[in-house]
Amino acid sequence: MMASDSVIEITGLSKTYGSGKNQTLALDRLDLSVLRGEIFGYLGPNGAGKTTTIRLLLDLIRPSAGSASIFGLDIRADSVEIRRRIGFFPAELSLWEGRTGDQIIHYVASVRGDTRSIAKHADELAERLDLDTTKRVRDLSSGNKRKLGLVIGMMHSPELLILDEPTGGLDPLVQQTFHTMMDEYRAKGKTVFLSSHVLSEVQAICDRVGILRDGELKAVESVEKITDVEFHWVDVGFRDAIPAGLQQTLEGMPSITDVSTNGARVRMRMIGDFDPLLRAIGAGYVESLHIEEPTLEDIFLAYYSGDKEN
Amino acid sequence: MTGVVVGNTLRTSWKQILYWGLGLGALGLYIDFIASSPDIISGYAELFETMPPALLQAFGASDVALFTTSEGWIVSIFVSEAAIFLSVFAVMAGLNITANDEQSGVMDVILSLPISRAAYMLERWIGYALIGLGIVLLCALITVGGIIGMNIDAPQDVILKSILNLYPAMLLVMTVTCLLATALRRRSVAIGVSAAFVVVSYLFNVIGASASGAIADFMESVSYFSYINGEAFVLGAYNPADSFIVIAATLVGFGLSLRMFVSRDIGI
Repeated sequence: MMASDSVIEITGLSKTYGSGKNQTLALDRLDLSVLRGEIFGYLGPNGAGKTTTIRLLLDLIRPSAGSASIFGLDIRADSVEIRRRIGFFPAELSLWEGRTGDQIIHYVASVRGDTRSIAKHADELAERLDLDTTKRVRDLSSGNKRKLGLVIGMMHSPELLILDEPTGGLDPLVQQTFHTMMDEYRAKGKTVFLSSHVLSEVQAICDRVGILRDGELKAVESVEKITDVEFHWVDVGFRDAIPAGLQQTLEGMPSITDVSTNGARVRMRMIGDFDPLLRAIGAGYVESLHIEEPTLEDIFLAYYSGDKEN
Repeated sequence: MTGVVVGNTLRTSWKQILYWGLGLGALGLYIDFIASSPDIISGYAELFETMPPALLQAFGASDVALFTTSEGWIVSIFVSEAAIFLSVFAVMAGLNITANDEQSGVMDVILSLPISRAAYMLERWIGYALIGLGIVLLCALITVGGIIGMNIDAPQDVILKSILNLYPAMLLVMTVTCLLATALRRRSVAIGVSAAFVVVSYLFNVIGASASGAIADFMESVSYFSYINGEAFVLGAYNPADSFIVIAATLVGFGLSLRMFVSRDIGI
């Protein structure tokens, strides 16, 4: 891929907070390219450095080392021009509590310099997200506040959307609408940089994923490759007791590991098909069966402990 | 700079002109009412004669003779009291320039828009400077209107000028608060230090003016209250350099605030 295809180009970007003994390294020599027209998932547990990266890109905080550019423009020297062309949704969204959605939209559109067309698009977005913009922010639920944040971030149809955990607090229906919107963005050749710690969200909409942990970028892969970890956590609850010998049977199965028991419940980590497990537990009366998708941390550990090959 | 932020600041905060302007105007009318009765002000003048100089200075006059005239009464009492009330407004306005938005997290949304930090701070400062000007003008008009309405024998231009002279000091307190909030980052600490700045300035003015010697002179010279000096207008001794010093200090303070705000991390 040619460098000219990069919308975001980050080189050796580091950020430390505090000084002396209280110094914390939040981001450690990050190198990353986000390509034009892709939805890039920036994945990591809380405190991994996702928000720090985004705040650096927006010039809200200043790097301790390294540099970055967006659209080929330096994030510090050309920050105003960059911000003209991007939309942003912060993880911890705060808005003017005493003002209505319409007032905020009008103000933000005025600063962007094109009130009429932006406000028109804002109305369309609000309608799609089922948001009442006539209400004051203090009267909106947290989910509706986040919808308003999305409208503000997207209403000027930016070339690049930077979204920091955008769907937390949104109901599943709105999340689905949001995913559709992201697909439409991609179809228009626009770029989305989306930070999340929700694996399913990243799986649903992203093309590539970067995994960040403790301020270090551990991998950048296609979403298919990074989430191709075929294991589940399975929790089986028996009505009476765990059938005799079941634990030994399970421990002897190659597709099952980490077997633990608690009263009449058995929990295990299972790779591959379910049929062998179902046959093994058939001797008892199964009262409940819970199958959990691997968490981000599970995938992370699996990916880096070599389990992936298994 | 597009003026959008100035316009928005005025649109969202113009009511402060009414609240503060009418409040201070009511105070002005009350003081006018007292001044309309020569018997009352001569009674007060007799009371003030018994007070020590420091206490007299606290009422905004260095000479008890000022209280025997209507204009001396109005200027001394109103200007000294309005200076304190306007300082409270100025501290609140100084916090509103950037600190409140930064503390609440709204600044992240603002600075994701195509506006530079410097332009944003400057426009907010101008917005609140205009609101402060509106307050001073409204209370001056009400106070002078009271003089006309109550047929008080007092030179209106002198009273108007002495009230308008509150404005540079108000800007200074607003800017000092803005500077402190930008430097200290924590709103609660900035409020405390700004309040201390106002109180210490007031005490320095009172103590410095009623004592003599190098220390007293120094205390007076570093107090912004001493540059408001309403009685100078009554006595015809107003020195424009006093206002220039306050304006110069305001510009330096704002320059420092701007420099700090532009160069540091936001919201940490």
